[in-house]
Amino acid sequence: MDTISRRKFLKLTTGAVAVGTAANFLTLDEIAEAAINRPLAAGTPILVVVTLYGGNDGLNTVIPFKDPVYFSSRPSISYAAETMLPLDAELALNPSMGGMKSLWDQKKVAIIRGVGYPKPDHSHFSSMAKWQSASPEKHISSGWLGRWLDSQPEDPMLAISLGSVLPPMLAGNRISGSALPLGGLVIPKGTFAAQCIQLSKPARADSKLMAAAATSMRNLFSVSSSIQPVLKSPPPVAVDLPTVNGGNAGGDSNLSQQLDVVAKLIAAGSPTKVWSVSLGGFDTHANEANAQATLLGVVSSGITRFMSQLKSTTRSNDVTVVVYSEFGRRVKANASQGTDHGTSGPMFVIGETVKGGFYGDQPSLSKLIDGDLAVTTDFRDVYATILESVLKSPAEQSLGKWTGRTQFMKAV
Amino acid sequence: MNTKRLETSRLFHRFGFGPRPGEYSQALKDGVDATRIRLTTAPATQTTISPIALPEITDLGKRPEPNTPEVVPFAIAMRTQEQQMGLWWLDMMALSDHGLTERMTWFWHGHWATSIQKLNYPLPMFNQNKTLRAQSLGNFNTMVKAMLNDGALQLWLDGQDSTAKAPNENLGRELMELFVLGVNRYTEDDVKAISRALTGYQVVRSTGLVSINQGRRDANPVTLLGTTASFTGDSLSDFLVARDDCATFIAERLWYRFISSTEPMPATFSAKSAFATRDISAAIKAMAADPSMQDLKYALVKSPVEWFISACRALELTPSKLQTPTQLASYLDKLGQVPFNPPNVGGWPAGEAWLSSATAQYRLAFAAWLIKQSNLDFLNQIPRDSRVLKSADWLGVPEWSARTQSALRTALDDPTQFTLLALCSPEYIVSA
Repeated sequence: MDTISRRKFLKLTTGAVAVGTAANFLTLDEIAEAAINRPLAAGTPILVVVTLYGGNDGLNTVIPFKDPVYFSSRPSISYAAETMLPLDAELALNPSMGGMKSLWDQKKVAIIRGVGYPKPDHSHFSSMAKWQSASPEKHISSGWLGRWLDSQPEDPMLAISLGSVLPPMLAGNRISGSALPLGGLVIPKGTFAAQCIQLSKPARADSKLMAAAATSMRNLFSVSSSIQPVLKSPPPVAVDLPTVNGGNAGGDSNLSQQLDVVAKLIAAGSPTKVWSVSLGGFDTHANEANAQATLLGVVSSGITRFMSQLKSTTRSNDVTVVVYSEFGRRVKANASQGTDHGTSGPMFVIGETVKGGFYGDQPSLSKLIDGDLAVTTDFRDVYATILESVLKSPAEQSLGKWTGRTQFMKAV
Repeated sequence: MNTKRLETSRLFHRFGFGPRPGEYSQALKDGVDATRIRLTTAPATQTTISPIALPEITDLGKRPEPNTPEVVPFAIAMRTQEQQMGLWWLDMMALSDHGLTERMTWFWHGHWATSIQKLNYPLPMFNQNKTLRAQSLGNFNTMVKAMLNDGALQLWLDGQDSTAKAPNENLGRELMELFVLGVNRYTEDDVKAISRALTGYQVVRSTGLVSINQGRRDANPVTLLGTTASFTGDSLSDFLVARDDCATFIAERLWYRFISSTEPMPATFSAKSAFATRDISAAIKAMAADPSMQDLKYALVKSPVEWFISACRALELTPSKLQTPTQLASYLDKLGQVPFNPPNVGGWPAGEAWLSSATAQYRLAFAAWLIKQSNLDFLNQIPRDSRVLKSADWLGVPEWSARTQSALRTALDDPTQFTLLALCSPEYIVSA
């Protein structure tokens, strides 16, 4: 399987961003300090964007399980109908997405079908750049949420991406989001810790950069000591959501870790309105069924656990999660039990204030365009609605005079 | 701070990859002028402290069809060659008797930043590395001409897809913005014009062999930066490199990577006038003698590879012999810098980008792993009571702060821990 990692995407799509505006790296320490000193006002909406890198196979995510063409197009990678999780008479979720199914049953999930953009591009890099810049016609280096940041008062905490590389989505022309590297920090202990603390004390003669080097090591310890009880504490206890296939037991995927950190920081009051997390590995050209089910299981259980963690905070009604990928995949399976790059796919929007249900038309399997699904909803419709109904901001600064909307949020 | 120690330290750490044990003390005896001349004059032939075999990087041919039996040996060969090539270069950096050539090759790799991630074949990257090494201290115009004919660069910037019918602007734009002139020293019309002039290149993916397909080439005159002409690759290079902006831009890039990534370049920076003939070596020599080399204001963070190689030289380690190469690759990846794999066409970041809490932690783990594989001969010969001061000479550090001296004194009886603290000290992570 030619797995295209998330890093690889970012490397090839960040050009202008990384050169012009170097990512602002935050430490947990800085975020925790901001959370304590100037917490996000109660009731402020929070957006969490989940990017699935590699091209998630939408047809094996939201499955047209009554359509014989589905089974005949991909005999080796279609799931048995009885294992799927039906959402209505025609569509079912991937068997691994039990958590998402229970959120759906609680009417907290909007599924927007057939999302894409005109003249679909089959290159990972180009297509992801189009999604993240929200400019399918013309290459631009700012991202749709970066342009939203441009319109906000400057604050490095306002939009934070988990991981060491800032996705182009959060790059503005004037202001960019910040990156929070997830190192799985292993903090030195005992004598070694005492030595490191001594080594990282400020020194009178330190140049600016030496002082920064000392601070970077010192932060390792301040994270673990004074300001960090919130981050060090175990995740809040789930209250009402059922555990899913053992997924709640911890499955140590990175997406779960990223979402755990986001949940804690939201609970702590971080002054952050936009969070970006991601999972790679969806480029399933070969042996797809198991690999994708595993990944979707991680997405489903990670988001389910995240939502349940928020339940025990005061902010559960404020958070909206959006899930997308750069394209779907071909309808017909290839010769290696996988699928090649395709076009449209479903987007998920999850939250307490989401109007659960289906939006947009399901692309027909019998009316393909060069073997690919039609695009029935433009992603800018979804973005515009997120900007207006979640972030309570005009859509124009990000999307110009785009008029399409998809009303998947409850009217407030 | 003692200026002689500062300048000597900068010469070793910025114009090479740091001193071997004993070299810094010897240089202090030789004096700054002699050391500067020696360290900035590359010898006619490169020698290494122990022999390094050239890696066998071959034409792997067309990628086999997916799901055929040929895929497995192809993938194994690809991975092996990529690993061998990476280790070979790290060995060249760590074992070279004279550091300048490898240091300059490394600088130019970051300048013409090309990544194997998109190319997916080691041979074109290997050939590009040879070109950069051969041209690293020569004439810049010759280098630009060679790079326009470099298959890896052409593939990386989609040059092979750029035809008279559909010019691709990737290469033309970056040639002006990132390689020769600097951003905003041209217009969008110039980007369109240069892209037309650069059409017609074709590249064999597996080897990087470049040819010009006249049928795909737009030979019509274009108006570029006010001059109308029908350009070839060579005449385009002559035209761009002759511009004043080229000297300004290359001086800016040298300043950024060798003197300071945080402070602006003064107009008087001597590398600029020394670059009048586009002789790279002359610019380097002028830069090494520039007054900024004595100014404490111009500290520079060592990038992860620079820090790692300087540690290898001090610890007398050979990168390819570290156990295991996979572990080494993982540490470099965690610190964010893998040779042949820059993050984007703009090259690696600089300065505080390398100073996060996450990198502090990885650096500690990486250093501990390296030290475990060294017998610390040099440090062990230094009497316990002079270890703190003498270790600054060993590592080529101008001086330890009182803070770091206190930390080092807590580890006088534990050479492993002593070395770990020294390598992760602010004074070693940053070139003062």
